[in-house]
Amino acid sequence: MTQRALTALALLTLATPAFAQDTLNALVWCDHTDPALIAPFEEKYNVKVNLKEFEGTAAGLAILDQSQPGDWDVMVIDSVDVHRAVEAGKLAELPADKLPTADFFPELVMADNNTVDGKTYAVTEKFGYNTTSYDKTKVDPADMEDMAALTSGKYDGKIGIYDYYLPVLGLVALGQGINTADVNADTLPKLQEPLMALRKASKQVSDVVSSQTALATGDVDIIVGGGEWLTAVLAKDNPNLDWTIPKQGGLRWSQSIGVVAGTAKPDLALEFVQYIVSPEGQAALAQSSCYWGMPANQKAGDLLSAEAKAVLRWDQQPDYLKRSQLYPIPDAATDTAMQDMWTAMLNQ
Amino acid sequence: MSLASQERTLARGLVAPAVLWTLAFFVVPFLAMLALSFAHMEGRKIVQGFDPGNYLRAFGDWSQLKALINSVEITLTVTVISVLLAWPLAAIIAWRVPQRFQRLALLLAVLPFWTSYVVRSYSWLLVLGKNGVINQALMGLGIVAEPLALASTRTATVIGFVHFFVMLLTLTIYANLVQLSPNYARAAQDLGAGRWATFAHVILPLTLPGVITGAFVTFVLCIGDYITPQILGGNTELTLPQLIMLQMGRSGNFPMASALSVILMAVVSLAYAGCSRWLRLDRV
Amino acid sequence: MRILSWVYLCLAYAFVFLPVVVLVVFSFQDGRLPVPPFHGFSLQWYEKILSDTGLMTALWHSALVAFISSALALVMGFLAAHALARVRLPGSVLLRGVLIAPMTVSYLIIALGLLTLFNQTGIKLSLWTAGIGHVVINLPLCFAMAYAAMGDHQKTAERAARDLGATEAQVLWLISAPMLAPALAAAFFLSVTFSWDEFIIAFLLTRFDVTLPVEIWSMLRSGLSPATNAVGSLVFLVSITAVVATEVFVLRRAK
Repeated sequence: MTQRALTALALLTLATPAFAQDTLNALVWCDHTDPALIAPFEEKYNVKVNLKEFEGTAAGLAILDQSQPGDWDVMVIDSVDVHRAVEAGKLAELPADKLPTADFFPELVMADNNTVDGKTYAVTEKFGYNTTSYDKTKVDPADMEDMAALTSGKYDGKIGIYDYYLPVLGLVALGQGINTADVNADTLPKLQEPLMALRKASKQVSDVVSSQTALATGDVDIIVGGGEWLTAVLAKDNPNLDWTIPKQGGLRWSQSIGVVAGTAKPDLALEFVQYIVSPEGQAALAQSSCYWGMPANQKAGDLLSAEAKAVLRWDQQPDYLKRSQLYPIPDAATDTAMQDMWTAMLNQ
Repeated sequence: MSLASQERTLARGLVAPAVLWTLAFFVVPFLAMLALSFAHMEGRKIVQGFDPGNYLRAFGDWSQLKALINSVEITLTVTVISVLLAWPLAAIIAWRVPQRFQRLALLLAVLPFWTSYVVRSYSWLLVLGKNGVINQALMGLGIVAEPLALASTRTATVIGFVHFFVMLLTLTIYANLVQLSPNYARAAQDLGAGRWATFAHVILPLTLPGVITGAFVTFVLCIGDYITPQILGGNTELTLPQLIMLQMGRSGNFPMASALSVILMAVVSLAYAGCSRWLRLDRV
Repeated sequence: MRILSWVYLCLAYAFVFLPVVVLVVFSFQDGRLPVPPFHGFSLQWYEKILSDTGLMTALWHSALVAFISSALALVMGFLAAHALARVRLPGSVLLRGVLIAPMTVSYLIIALGLLTLFNQTGIKLSLWTAGIGHVVINLPLCFAMAYAAMGDHQKTAERAARDLGATEAQVLWLISAPMLAPALAAAFFLSVTFSWDEFIIAFLLTRFDVTLPVEIWSMLRSGLSPATNAVGSLVFLVSITAVVATEVFVLRRAK
């Protein structure tokens, strides 16, 4: 009887980790959960990095709202949303001189987005494009250069939409000749019809995995909002998958990383941020298992293999950067309106 | 203290932990959620107060109401199909399969229960895909020329649900059938009833309470399920649980999520009221 | 008619096993994608998941939460059933109703309610909070099964024991529990099964330490891969081994 009680007690204490090891709590997107990225940092500093994934900025801010100061140390966030987070008091200032932004692709320094009143709050870590991904053996690649082909009727039922309202609504705006910077309460209603038309022509609206599955199984031939991040990871097994930026343009996504305000470990958090933007961290992040993307730090190119660079289209980046626009940055009311429009579209 | 009241005090003491647990972690949270459903969001702050705005929106906004309708439609479809498929299976195992193999037969029928629910739904996505097993079989047999678009539709969601609930209902209906004394059937046949009459007028009514209890459990589990529609539905339409998770995850709108949850619970309560005549949940 | 029955049985089994067979077959896929065509036999995915410490930790967490929450639910449910079956308490119908009520509520709602409660009281999310949720869903089940199994011959045996001077605790431990062992074992087994595979409560009520279904969900959201098939197959294999072992060693012996 006592033996059983003792074993139970032992099991219980095992369950509640009381490691002497330091921990770092990170709110991240799924590409940060790759052990190839995290393990070198954990070994070097002898810490355990706790990772929690979240979907979009609204979800991330909601998590922070429900948490106490000190619960989280670092956070990944859409570069275009850094201002929102700073205004909500969620990010701590970063020492700009300690960040290697001089080595970045110039367009990706994004000082306007990452700084507020001259103070740096986040640093860009990865970027890529939301455009059109497709199976080049099933569709006519020439058609993919024009967004209008998607609603022309030729590909009805063969299209999948990536389930993230911001970039897809941005793409719809570009298709209507509206710049993403001009998407606001006045121009938003103009997107309603084209969005619904796109939905009618599509088979499904799905997240990363379901989109990949659908492309791989041939359930859809085109993904709107897809890009290299969707197809690169499948490239080896499925070389038919391709992507392009149509003539109306594409969206450029970029994610930044910052230190959460109120963290109990500001130094460790800063070390983590510095690791992520160092060439080694950048090379690992660019090829991490959830989705690939271009590293913000150009020096990472020295550590990437030739095949990886080919998949990422390293050499065509200057052209892509020119033809792509940033995500729309809606105010709170417009954001809610966009989400409502999206929900209505899902439930058509 | 008399012996009886001593007994009663002791009994109260024994019941207390379970009741207190249920009160603290079921009743109170539900009341908290109910209170939250009457709050509303201003920006990202939750403002308490008695504001039925969330409920008005849930019923007034077509895309929200549609989610509720979708859930009820899918759940009713799944419940009916599952019962119709599971009853014969349970009956065959109970009456046709030799006694010593019955437990094995039953176990085989529910074995896939033990693959992870999440992974099983995802497997259905692959099975139903354009170059999945089913389409390849159909095309190979020449039944269809082009692969059917099965995955990421309501059909796929229903198939995924039915798969799970047929297993569950087979278990519960079987347990019900084996308790049925064969004397009833014998008596009916002695009195001259034919096979079908015995079945329709004796066996079916006797097993009805058990079937209805199983159907009710199916209804509750199905209407509140998030995973299967999320993985298999392709977001071609939203169900109520998906809407609730959307409100929570994407918008961070807890009051709205709470209101939708209360509505979900109200629907289940209606179903309960409808079946309560037959329900014997304490003998499930 | 007989033949029809066997045909139906075979078709039913085929339907039930279809996704599982596909799952297992493609876990051996020699290629990046678990979709047809099947390229060849490879154990690489099993190697990958067995060396994935996150998965193995999650598996351990799942077992822990399942056993502890089921044990707690069983004890509380058994005591409550014992009391309510023996003694006519005023309001016992209401008490029974309260204890059974969580059975009629969807897990999502139970999870949301608890999340609201924990947010408002500042309790941090962890495996313990998920465990609390699992007790809530399993307690009605354990109570109902224990209550249904109680009969008159137990009452007689208990009365006899009390007459011989046993304390209530002794009566419970030495008489009631053993006599109800099959029902209690079944309740425990079912509770463990429900808790082990439960997703939504574990998903909403944990933070970093997660259970297996939540870890699999994260894996799924990170990309399409036969590794997920391998996990599912492994879980399946472990579960049916446990079921078969229980069947052979426990249930047969009880006969």
